[in-house]
Amino acid sequence: MAAGAGRCCRAGLSHGALLSWALPFPVALSQAVLSRTAGGALGTPRWGRAASSSAAAVSGREGPQPREGSVRRRGRTPQFVRSAAPPRTERMAVDQDWSSVYPTAAAFRPASVPLPIRMGYPVKRGVPPPKEGNLELIKIPNFLHLTPPAIKKHCAALKDFCTEWPSALDSDEKCEQHFPIEIETVDYVSSGISIWNPKARVVTLRVKLSNLNLDDHAKKKLIKLVGERYCRETDVLTITTDRCPLRRQNYDYGMHLLTVLYHESWKTEKWESEKSEEDMEEYIWENSHSQKNALDTLLQIKTSENVSNVTKEELLASEVVKNYRNSVIALKNNSETESNMSQYKESVKKLLNIQA
Amino acid sequence: QLDHGCALHTAARDGLSSMSSQDVPAERPRAVFHTSESDPAKHTEQHEARLYNIPLEEVKAVFPHGLPHRFQQQIRTFNEARVMVRKPALELLAYLRASNFAHPAVRYVIYGERGTGKTMTLCHVLHYCSRQGWLVLHIPDAHLWVKNCKELLQSSYKKDRLDQPLQASVWLKNFKTSNERFLQEIKTQKKYMWGKQESTEEGRPLGEVVEQGLARVRSATDAMGVVLREIKQQSHRGSFRLLVAVDGVNALWGRTTLRKEDKSPVSPEELTLVHNLRKMLRNDWSGGAIVTTLSQTGSLFKPSSAYTPQELLGKEGFDALDPFVPISVPNYSPREFESCYGYYLERKWLQHEKAHTEDGKAELRFLSGSNPRQLDRLAGPL
Repeated sequence: MAAGAGRCCRAGLSHGALLSWALPFPVALSQAVLSRTAGGALGTPRWGRAASSSAAAVSGREGPQPREGSVRRRGRTPQFVRSAAPPRTERMAVDQDWSSVYPTAAAFRPASVPLPIRMGYPVKRGVPPPKEGNLELIKIPNFLHLTPPAIKKHCAALKDFCTEWPSALDSDEKCEQHFPIEIETVDYVSSGISIWNPKARVVTLRVKLSNLNLDDHAKKKLIKLVGERYCRETDVLTITTDRCPLRRQNYDYGMHLLTVLYHESWKTEKWESEKSEEDMEEYIWENSHSQKNALDTLLQIKTSENVSNVTKEELLASEVVKNYRNSVIALKNNSETESNMSQYKESVKKLLNIQA
Repeated sequence: QLDHGCALHTAARDGLSSMSSQDVPAERPRAVFHTSESDPAKHTEQHEARLYNIPLEEVKAVFPHGLPHRFQQQIRTFNEARVMVRKPALELLAYLRASNFAHPAVRYVIYGERGTGKTMTLCHVLHYCSRQGWLVLHIPDAHLWVKNCKELLQSSYKKDRLDQPLQASVWLKNFKTSNERFLQEIKTQKKYMWGKQESTEEGRPLGEVVEQGLARVRSATDAMGVVLREIKQQSHRGSFRLLVAVDGVNALWGRTTLRKEDKSPVSPEELTLVHNLRKMLRNDWSGGAIVTTLSQTGSLFKPSSAYTPQELLGKEGFDALDPFVPISVPNYSPREFESCYGYYLERKWLQHEKAHTEDGKAELRFLSGSNPRQLDRLAGPL
């Protein structure tokens, strides 16, 4: 087993690699920022009217007569109301720098996002409500701070802290050949009281079983031992450890687990000889009911035709029985498709010598 | 014209029956989809997708309990029994004709999706065999033996098995109706004791065993077991051919919904009827054939989309029936659909005015998906 790198040093600027550098900014970070920016952008809805038409209604009512004292007042509207400024979106250029509008994770501000988004359940024969004052849009998480140009800037800023990618490892196959074990760890950065995050101790180990030196029995035993952690389609074993308090300890434990699994799967215990048919991963025709039935039938046919001294080995080696064996194995291991069934039918007809 | 007087008793034992085949075009234009060939032995590919008639007396004699319920209703409504000749049945008939009766019995499993005509295929084959003079052992629905049985007696023969006297007596009655003459010819080969006083001596006709089972309902299950055993042992002699026809054979290897008195579930092996039938389905006897059907419709604890042999039989059933010849029954082909539609029109079953149009036919074809059962159910209210 070639040892992988200690930390995940695939911090190159290739396309998918950035995702392994999960640097989530907790949404809790910018609550203070939210209230300030929201207050600045939209004056009127902060005063408790969440309806979409509130801004329009208030400005419509108060607009033409903003500062006259003899205005009729409804409810608790204050006497002197500033007219709402036009939203910032009207002054946004098409090629503006978006990362300065949303530099960090922030709540959705309808006046800062120049998109005509609608969200919510429509009334009868209506449309979903627009974005102004739409609580649904504010509640959900958004990724407006993670557009591709913003990420490019992040990478440019982080580049000073990274080392050069080794030029010899220029393809995925070479990476896998030299470093078959992938270790994945996540670092968390947040502005808060402490710099430590308990989620940072999780270590994930991924290795392909084809890179391990396992024979047939060892591979089956390993798959049985790890259970859910093995994926058949991609042949990848994933071990996630978080039982120790430190990342280094979890990494050591993960490597220890891998070593133990490898060595244990090569050993054969005494009780493994009691493996029964239900434990088998795939269907084996030898010594199965199907073989017994076929041989019995063929022997009966031969005795009825007075052909004696036909041994079992001869029957097993004959063409029809081999054909039958293959078709039964295909039927049991793969699914029962039409082609498998017709193949089985043909082989049984040949075996039992049925003519149409 | 159809020969109404042809009863089974006059049929020859081996070889073809003595019915004359007249493919005379009928007087009134009974349309392309009917055939006057009423002997399944003469059905070939040219009769495919056509409906042939079974005289009503034959229906009562051959199928006392075998036909699907809706088909029986259709017989009563139309006053005639018309069965469509389809490819799977023709295939099976060809195999049966060419089979070597010295070899062990071959097992055929008819499978297909719901409502595609498996039971009707089985009945077609049954009709052929009874016309040819075979001894027909027909179990109409094996699912009836593993669910909803009111009385379960502990078997007197083997302590841990359970008897089902009601089901056994019903079956014995129907068996008697369909195979009268064989019951006189086959003789028992050993003495059987029914309880302390009654017994059947060696050499008595099998009819006596059946009478015993019908008279004393408690021993009906054992009587049935005796009948099966005798028939199996004597079939290889060649004096008669045996057809074992089981509908819903997947019931024998599934689970039951029956419970013993202490509320523990009953497994199929503990039922005497199932045990004896499983012995019949083994291919250690010769001189006949075994034709079975898989059925999801009455099955227990099986999903409704299951129709392939492995899904319905399970591992145990597949291993027990292996090697078998699977025969698939698909939905109606376009020709068969035309045939069925034309028949319904001709019998004035489709009353709706739009049903007579081409559009109506296309709509029926689409709605039913060319599935025979769906078409039957759709055509009912029309």
